[in-house]
Amino acid sequence: MTLRLDGVRFRHPGSRTWALDGLSLAAPAGAVTWLAGPLGAGCSTALLVAAGLAPRVTGGIREGTVRLWHADPGAGGLVGRLAYVTANPAHQLSGVAETVWQEVAFAPANLGWPVERIRAAVDAALDRLGLAALHARDPRTLSGGELQRVVLAAMLVLAPAAWLLDEPASALDAAGRDALAGLLRSEAARGAVVVVASADADWMAGVADQLVVVRAGRAVLAGAPAALLAGEAIWADGGPGSTSVAALARAVASRAPGPRTAPPWPVDVASAVARWR
Amino acid sequence: MPPWGARIPEAAPLHPFTPPALAAAVAALAILLPMPWGPPALLAGTVVVVVAGGLPAAVGRALRVVFPLWILLLVLHGGLGPAPRVAVGGLGLSRSGLLLALGQGARLGAIAVAGFAAAATLRASRVLDAWAARGGTPHLGYLAVATGFAVPRLLARARTITEAQRARGLRLRGSLAGRLRALRALALPLVLGLLAEADDRGLALETRAAAAPGPRTPLAPVPLTARDRWLRLGALALVLAALAWRVAR
Repeated sequence: MTLRLDGVRFRHPGSRTWALDGLSLAAPAGAVTWLAGPLGAGCSTALLVAAGLAPRVTGGIREGTVRLWHADPGAGGLVGRLAYVTANPAHQLSGVAETVWQEVAFAPANLGWPVERIRAAVDAALDRLGLAALHARDPRTLSGGELQRVVLAAMLVLAPAAWLLDEPASALDAAGRDALAGLLRSEAARGAVVVVASADADWMAGVADQLVVVRAGRAVLAGAPAALLAGEAIWADGGPGSTSVAALARAVASRAPGPRTAPPWPVDVASAVARWR
Repeated sequence: MPPWGARIPEAAPLHPFTPPALAAAVAALAILLPMPWGPPALLAGTVVVVVAGGLPAAVGRALRVVFPLWILLLVLHGGLGPAPRVAVGGLGLSRSGLLLALGQGARLGAIAVAGFAAAATLRASRVLDAWAARGGTPHLGYLAVATGFAVPRLLARARTITEAQRARGLRLRGSLAGRLRALRALALPLVLGLLAEADDRGLALETRAAAAPGPRTPLAPVPLTARDRWLRLGALALVLAALAWRVAR
């Protein structure tokens, strides 16, 4: 199973410019696909379109084809099978749950699952995200990081076939990022499609299996993260750039050019140490 | 991991639809009972029941809301009402106007106390479960409940914005023009923030099947007990009796 976008164009309501302008990409099941691009490149919009939310919910105009299991998510038939997570967890709460447990149970209840199935799935999701101790807490009293984990649990409970996440680690501390990375890897291993839009190259470099660089609404680079992050092309034309280690290596190279400071750039501390030892 | 039962909040003593039904009955009685002594008696009875029910804070909230209206009614009817007049604290006030103010004030007070008490008993999840158990359209129930329970969140956000703007030097007191400028500085971020949040929340809720067409599963049973039935029937009987008396009079 693959999530595939072919020549997708999308224009937000009231806008004269295309936020996506011929975007094509394939995100295979079993892999974590990372969308990176400068601000306004269209990564978040690509997730909205892939989730079937744009234009069905947001309005706007879409051209091109989007396929998941040969179905178009935009038709709305995949509700409950797709997980969509944004950077602001407080905006994703139901607003009607008094406890974390109820918040996580919100979607399964809406889907009419039998109550025994809801109990088992919610308990498992809370355990998986380390939220068992918080099950009785009012979601409105949680910290941003805890809230983001609740939102992830509220999606995990559905055992979604595809995860579409927009800057999901922005509210998380280091431990939370590690936990999220583990979740994304295990969901990919389960066979889910996982697509993450993120500007956090240091974190995503260790999580993603493939990187798609988006610029002006279209994919301009695609391939293995290690190779793209070590290259120079990802910096071109105001591109998203690479990891902080690669940025440091570029800065060093600009002041002390030479064979030991030329591309490919080291992308993490271990590769930098190995190269400069 | 505690057992399933421990995850669900302790059951409220009444079905979630019973307190609103009782509040509606109090509102109807407040209008139907004879002036000027019917509404004060109703207010007294409502306060006693609400306090005995463990909700004295609801009485306090209601009285804070209606107190300015009581003053207005007193000045309006007492000061401008017809003769004869009685001396109250050195002022000559209309006797019939005072009685009218008493009745109308008590009418408002009874409605406010019952309304605040009913609101204090409501829990969003139980209302949704009760709605689902009755086979109500899930997304309509969600819309109504989420809207009702958004008010405290809205007030909290307004307080946060107020504090932030005051920290940045906004003065909330002073001339009328200054206050209007302050209001604009508070309202703009509040409205823009709400619009942005509404967009995000709409997308998230769509993903979480808030608009799913099928029936919603109640997460906890919401039994309609014999006590609920008797309370509702009793309230209905009182309203019908008051209505019959009013029509026959």
